[in-house]
Amino acid sequence: MSDALEAEETFLDRFPEEAKVVRSAFLGSFLALTLGAIFGIIQTLHRTGLFRGLIDSTDYYTVLTAHGVFLVISFTVFFLVGLFTWAVVRSLDRPLVDIRITWTWYVLMAGGMTMTGISILAGFTDAIDMSADVLYTFYAPLQAHPLFYTGLAVFIVGSWLAGADWFRTWLAWREDNPDERIPLQTFMVLTTMIMWYIASSAVAASVLIFLLPWSLGLIESVNPTLTRTLFWFFGHPVVYFWLMPAYLLWYTVLPSIAGGRLFSDPLARVVFVLFLLLSTPVGIHHQYLDPGIAEGFKFISMTNTMFLLLPSLLTAFTVVASVEYGARQRGGTGIFGWLRSLPWRDPAFTGMMLAGLMFAAGGFSGMVNAGMNINYMIHNTIWVPGHFHLTVGTAVALTFMAATYWLWPQITNKPVYSRQIGLFQVVLWFIGMALMSNAMHAQGLLGVPRRTAEPEYSGFDYPVAFGGFEELNVQIAIGGTLLFLSTVLFIGNLVLTMGNPRVSGLAETIRPALSGPDDAPEVLDDLRIWVGIAVTLVVLAYALPLAAIINDGGLLGPGVGTYPVWIDATVGALAEVAVPAAWALVDALAFLGARLLDAATSGVVA
Amino acid sequence: MHIHAYEKIWLAFAIVLILLLLGSVTYGAVGPGVAMVADSEAQIDANALDEDDRFAEPRVEQVGENEYEAYVVAYQFGFEPSPIVVPENSTVTFQITSRDVIHGFEVAGTNANTMAVPGEVAEITVEVSEPREYGIVCNEYCGAGHHAMEGKLHVVSEEEFAEMNEGGENE
Amino acid sequence: MSRTETAGAPADDAGGDEEFDPVGTLALIAVYFAILVIAWVYIYYIEFLGRDLVVVG
Repeated sequence: MSDALEAEETFLDRFPEEAKVVRSAFLGSFLALTLGAIFGIIQTLHRTGLFRGLIDSTDYYTVLTAHGVFLVISFTVFFLVGLFTWAVVRSLDRPLVDIRITWTWYVLMAGGMTMTGISILAGFTDAIDMSADVLYTFYAPLQAHPLFYTGLAVFIVGSWLAGADWFRTWLAWREDNPDERIPLQTFMVLTTMIMWYIASSAVAASVLIFLLPWSLGLIESVNPTLTRTLFWFFGHPVVYFWLMPAYLLWYTVLPSIAGGRLFSDPLARVVFVLFLLLSTPVGIHHQYLDPGIAEGFKFISMTNTMFLLLPSLLTAFTVVASVEYGARQRGGTGIFGWLRSLPWRDPAFTGMMLAGLMFAAGGFSGMVNAGMNINYMIHNTIWVPGHFHLTVGTAVALTFMAATYWLWPQITNKPVYSRQIGLFQVVLWFIGMALMSNAMHAQGLLGVPRRTAEPEYSGFDYPVAFGGFEELNVQIAIGGTLLFLSTVLFIGNLVLTMGNPRVSGLAETIRPALSGPDDAPEVLDDLRIWVGIAVTLVVLAYALPLAAIINDGGLLGPGVGTYPVWIDATVGALAEVAVPAAWALVDALAFLGARLLDAATSGVVA
Repeated sequence: MHIHAYEKIWLAFAIVLILLLLGSVTYGAVGPGVAMVADSEAQIDANALDEDDRFAEPRVEQVGENEYEAYVVAYQFGFEPSPIVVPENSTVTFQITSRDVIHGFEVAGTNANTMAVPGEVAEITVEVSEPREYGIVCNEYCGAGHHAMEGKLHVVSEEEFAEMNEGGENE
Repeated sequence: MSRTETAGAPADDAGGDEEFDPVGTLALIAVYFAILVIAWVYIYYIEFLGRDLVVVG
């Protein structure tokens, strides 16, 4: 296909069916963003004490659960599935194998998230006997309504099908192109999804084997350390699951927007392979201050975590070099002067660059979080949300918004309503987050805890440093308000864009890398090897800790109660019937097993 | 594989940075002797804390010359004992557990910070110096009353500590 | 045929045989490195190790 022709055709023109999927995924994502932002502003003003008139402090945790789940599960993952669908189809230049499968996973994910969302939002009303105020980490023995866990399980299964859909499309492409390198974007999607399969298997196991049966009353208790460890087995790689779509955009889209080219395709592949290998065997670094886990396991986890800095540091170089190349092409000169020659009026460019800058700052607080013993200083303080509002809250969220200004016209053939508003919006996000996150880090150093409706206490005052507690509260509230306004502008701009007429000529091209895939060793594309190594590393990092936890505390815990944040008469009644039935089944299976074992031993003896 | 010379330089610096981080943490462990909460204590039945001689009666106990153990129970929504009273210039080992859900135990603004997990016993040892009052906060969400959950750590003079124990307030 | 970030380098602006040296990137990232090291030394050795109630066991 000639370049001229390619330039004229948008993604929508070429793949109308797939464009519809991408649009639907993005719309789901932005709906979640809207809800998340509303809960965000309520929460910011409540927590900082500037306005507590809207909700009671006991309802704060419903707001917090909704803010967390809608933003870090729903907003991020729906954007991811849309973006990955676009990236696979675009880079393989072929449609998905069977669009019905595609819609199946979309419906599963949307349905699952709706179930979970309902279980959370029902916490606001006493009329429905349902609640899931367990925050997005759902640590047992706090117990949510079964609908919460069921929805999560359905959502995850949907995401697995999505991955299978992209793998299948790639295999179909491979049949027609047996000797070609995997296109970079598809390579990024496939490695990210392999990581996701490995990571989400643990949380799926935790939900299906322990939490869901427990919430239905089928098992009496769970081992809190075990379910917590299984959560973090998933909970750290999930942050890279949020981040990889942003990386995909920084590597493959940002250089072209800057008028440059990707500096090195081989290093991009190396980086994604490193993330696949190192994202999962690190989750215990969220449990540095947990009793019941030996120090040695914590140290191993820290070492892996520190090496996980490597792919991000390499990314910083490669992406900035790609942008610098663009600036030089545009006539930029000097050691730093080239920065002036970049397209700062483009909201897509400026948004992604500011997101990257915030990520660099987040890199520092991340180093502190990863340091095993320095964790005593900041563990579970508001420093930690300060950190992840730089990473997922800006590096990821702002990149997604910026990318929307670039991508949305190509999947709808409608030009963005106002690029000026877009530019103002991304800068506003940056300013708001700079204020909020900086003050959160500072409060964390004072010892102010995270996840609380009222961080002020009757028995003591916080020390004064980095500005006092109250002053930092005001900074957080102002920052949070700016972030909310920024979100309103983003959504408003997008809604007005939808009202624009369809036009032609909105296609954008992605230019080839300076150092292309031919410079990359073939072995990088051999995904089976990387799956093997990734699984081995996970087994090395987790087999012994999990065995120790189960050995010490038992599968169902050493004797721990159940603390539902909901009470439901119908489920209670169901459990009364189901529990004896389940035990009868267990007895029957045990009897059968014993008979089989007898038969087998006698067979061996004979 | 082709890698630009500058990128190789950066790779080397990145590895130096990682080694600096790992080296600092290791220094903290062997120099000032910072130790991690770990699995030193056996698991415990959280539903039967009243059968455990440490947690049936949460308290501070002298276990050696200038050495004290504080047995602390976190619950929805408070800590026992409160306040935790210890004498100045002593070594205090906290053993902390929860009788219901997961809580946090953080002496605000200090490095004394750990999770309190039902079924597990967290053990941390600190050295206290002059008399001072610290606030203790639960830093893990533990239910609707989480924000009201706080405790106190009072470091008192030796005379005051002796007086209190004679008075039978703190056995 | 797949599209095209995988295509061979076209002639327009690839700079021919001369390799592009991202000297500005190297300078920026050196500044970043310096900030990271200084900030780390401060937060670990002064802020963390200088605090009350260091956990020693």
